[in-house]
Amino acid sequence: MLEIEDLKTNFNTYDGVVKALNGVNLTIKDGEIFGLVGETGSGKSVTCYSALKLLPKTGEVVGGKIVLNGEDITHASEARLRQIRGGEVGIIFQDPLSALNPVMTVNEQIGEILVLHQDEEIRKLASEKEIPTYKSKKFQASPGIEFTILAFCISFISLFIMLGQFTFSLPFLLVIGMMFLRNYLQKDLPQSALDLIVIDALSRVKLPNPKQIASSYPHELSGGMQQRVMIAMALAGKAKMLIADEPTTALDVTIQAQILQLIKDIQREENMSVLLITHDLGVVAETCEKVAVMYKGKIIEEGLVDQIFKNPQHEYTKALIEAIPKGGKERLKVPDVGEPGAI
Amino acid sequence: MKLWVYVLRRLALTIPVMLGVTFITFFLSLQMGDPLAAYVTERTTDEQYDMLAEKHGVNEPLPVRYTAYLRSIITFDWGYSQIAMDDVSNALRDKFAATLELSILAFIVAVATAVPLGIFSSIRQNKWEDHAIRLFALMGSAIPIFWLALFLQFMAATYTDWEISQRVDAKLWYTEPTQIDTPTNFLLIDAIAAGSWIHFKDALQHMILPATVLAYGSMATIIRLMRGNMLDVLGQDYIRTAKSKGLTEKQVTYKHGAPNAMIPTTTILGMGFAGLINGSVLTETIFTWPGLGSWAITAMRSMDISAILAYTLFSAFLYIIANLIVDILYAFLDPRVELGGHLSFAEIAIVSVSILMLIITYFSISVAVWFGSFILLAFIILTVYSIVHRFIKNPDDLWVLFLFLGTSFIVWSILSDYFMTIIYISTIIYVLYLVYNRENVSENLGPKFDEFQRALYQIKKNPLTILGLFLVLSLLSIALFAPWLAPPSETQRDPMRMEEHFEFNQQRNFQPPCYFSCTADSGEVDGYVLGSTDRGYDIYYGIVWGSRTSLDVAVKVVFTGTFIAVAIGAVSGYYGGRVDDVIMRITDVFIAIPGLVLALAIIAVTEDNSIEMLMYALIIVWWPGFTRIIRAEALRIRNLPYIEAAKAAGASDFRIIFMHIIPNCITSIIVIATMDMGGIVLSLAALGFLGFGGGPDLAEWGKLVSFGQDDMLLGSWWGFFFPGLAVALWALGFYLLGDGIRDILDPKQRN
Repeated sequence: MLEIEDLKTNFNTYDGVVKALNGVNLTIKDGEIFGLVGETGSGKSVTCYSALKLLPKTGEVVGGKIVLNGEDITHASEARLRQIRGGEVGIIFQDPLSALNPVMTVNEQIGEILVLHQDEEIRKLASEKEIPTYKSKKFQASPGIEFTILAFCISFISLFIMLGQFTFSLPFLLVIGMMFLRNYLQKDLPQSALDLIVIDALSRVKLPNPKQIASSYPHELSGGMQQRVMIAMALAGKAKMLIADEPTTALDVTIQAQILQLIKDIQREENMSVLLITHDLGVVAETCEKVAVMYKGKIIEEGLVDQIFKNPQHEYTKALIEAIPKGGKERLKVPDVGEPGAI
Repeated sequence: MKLWVYVLRRLALTIPVMLGVTFITFFLSLQMGDPLAAYVTERTTDEQYDMLAEKHGVNEPLPVRYTAYLRSIITFDWGYSQIAMDDVSNALRDKFAATLELSILAFIVAVATAVPLGIFSSIRQNKWEDHAIRLFALMGSAIPIFWLALFLQFMAATYTDWEISQRVDAKLWYTEPTQIDTPTNFLLIDAIAAGSWIHFKDALQHMILPATVLAYGSMATIIRLMRGNMLDVLGQDYIRTAKSKGLTEKQVTYKHGAPNAMIPTTTILGMGFAGLINGSVLTETIFTWPGLGSWAITAMRSMDISAILAYTLFSAFLYIIANLIVDILYAFLDPRVELGGHLSFAEIAIVSVSILMLIITYFSISVAVWFGSFILLAFIILTVYSIVHRFIKNPDDLWVLFLFLGTSFIVWSILSDYFMTIIYISTIIYVLYLVYNRENVSENLGPKFDEFQRALYQIKKNPLTILGLFLVLSLLSIALFAPWLAPPSETQRDPMRMEEHFEFNQQRNFQPPCYFSCTADSGEVDGYVLGSTDRGYDIYYGIVWGSRTSLDVAVKVVFTGTFIAVAIGAVSGYYGGRVDDVIMRITDVFIAIPGLVLALAIIAVTEDNSIEMLMYALIIVWWPGFTRIIRAEALRIRNLPYIEAAKAAGASDFRIIFMHIIPNCITSIIVIATMDMGGIVLSLAALGFLGFGGGPDLAEWGKLVSFGQDDMLLGSWWGFFFPGLAVALWALGFYLLGDGIRDILDPKQRN
């Protein structure tokens, strides 16, 4: 599915060039959950952002090869990359609240990805059910804008009445009247095909009451719900691969388990490949089939999860596994790795 | 909270603010000369005068006069304006349409061009397009409106045949056979309604220059804000999410970036409207536009008291309405905003008392006097009681009193004549302290030097900062070396007075600049380097010595304002509670009146034309805005975890404010103070240009520009051009420097 060969990425900063990735090699097969672990700053996230060219302005890929589904996308055009992002590879980010646009409703945000990558589906559904494709309530504004216009008009009317020019306030009265008329006319229009698919996508990630959630803003949802919305969004474009960048770090423990279970379920149903980036070995042990350990911008060990946990080869991997808190007397023992700050 | 409750609540809250504004206007009216002057002619006898005094209640005690004033306001009996030769309320109505038409056109132009430019500039960050747009924007803030207006007027008069004075060609509009109806008094709309292209063209021709001038200033502010906000937003996580969906760069920027960046930009649009009101005063005066602004200036020049008061009140009212609309817009743009939280008891009390006061005043003045005095007395007693109670309960808080005493001392010393002496003495003490602690100092030099190098690197990356630094340093050295650059005449008693400075031209005539060829064959200078005014004032001399006036006023206003704002803002923000409420309501009242209008009103009614009065007026205008910024910062920092940590470690309030809160908002303090060094000089020049502040011949840039305006009919462009250029360069230098300092001190920029 995804092959990365000798990937090198640099960041240009004031203090000089930071080599974030020094030759990363990864192979993720179809229908596999692949874990990528490592401490903060080891280059896990940079790997996935480099693969899709989502790096910030200061970063650039300086070498290596990225192959997706047998297609070399190292030097792919921006247009091709846009088809891949969302259409073939979906991404879930760490902190769902900051990763969702605060001023757009869930409906709009998921709808966007559908319009980009699932246009045909929407049209098909629309012609089957004989409902409008995209926007049925074209002019339906949120209550906010209606009251804004209302307040605007009222203040102007009062201003003109104060100045003794009642005739000037007539156009504003007309606007208020038209607003009420429009509201009355647009009371019940059918839902569009887009809305139906969005609601379908939300119910796929097991969100209760998807209709209501679709019309709410991100900050009105709980952390777990936000992450489910993120997952729904990443899956909406019918991506064959899912990159999850620390999907559970910002969530509390009970929600973490639910989200991981959801990712596992969806992976099984759709037979997707999943690249799970995390610093939590517990998550890896629970979810993944294969795992790679990253350290200082390189992959130092790779293999099946059981194998790595039972029989780690590299010193660093051993230290990582040692550092997992265990029950019993040995829990306070801190492993000696030699280099300070290594874990 | 429902939106309509929020709107109602905001509307209700404007009532106490408006009441506060009437306090200010009433106080101003007390400062004026004879309140009956409007009604008195040479033939008025003493008896008639007494009758007038009786009728207008001049001899009544103050509370009665205030209540009567309030009643006249709410019954729309705003007095009689001599200038307009009509009732004030009629005059307001006639002139408001003209101002509103101009402002709305300017506002639309400004927003429609500034938002796209700001977005474009942020996409091309640190490329040449970005630098060009930033410079364009900064110039808009730095160029004095009156200078731009004069420049455009001069160009139009020289190179086109446009009629640019007044609103329209009166012959075309108001006489047969081309007369058309003007039912709305918005002339562009009337012309369209009448379907007459000639009239439309005429109105547009008259309007285009004033509108350009007005729009440029607000445009500059919006561009800068939009650019900064876009840069912030483009670094957010949700932009990455949007990119990961496969959206194009354009879609990401305009659909996800721009709406988010518009949120903080909107809050400033209300301020932008105030800017338009300020700007219209100057623009209308220059283009003789028959609107509110030019009416107000004429009124101030000829002491038309009721017109001045009505204009101040009306500006405040407009500004409050504009801000109300902006706040509601904000609530719509940002779904996260919580609409106001819960209603506090104090709020309800203040609003209901104000409304009650208005109602009672409407029906009976005597009851209102009784009621108002009771409320005021109760308020004072409660305030004093709660403050004393607090100090008795927490004697540790007494340091706040000492803080305010110290601040007053510092403010007094800055405004006193000993300012320079105090600066010298403190410099000497500081140097002695450094020498005494030389070991510590040399130890700390290493990291300081690293910081310095980082700053140098950042300055190098940003050519505009270098330009700003260069401008500021050269203007400061001009002020410093004034006696050598432009030596005063030997007979001159005060070098700041231009009247006595006639080096080579005793005939007081009018000459164009001779630049570098001023030296005659004999080697003697025999002309004016930058020309002279009609009265023979040497423009070069005026500019050089005028830099001292600007520096003096700017430094004193900024320093005193900063001390006041930091002391009040930090304490108010940190403690919060009722004291904070009261202080914020007071600043509300001051901010409600647009700055230039208030300063003009203060200077006009005190009839004190000295530069000190001007300084006080600028301080009064300037401190509330700055206090609010510091207070907001303090409020934000107060809730951060490290303050909790400091409290948990047992730090006293004094320590928290001085060691944590003030150092953490020092960046904004420095940046705002630097920028306002430019802003203050702009206001100073605007006041000077309108003929307020300083003596008639004080070396001051704005005043020189106004001499230049008088000389324009004689064909002089140098008279307004060079002094205006000096103001523009001064402001531009400080704005650029402030921007650069922000970049250097902002840790987020270090990548």
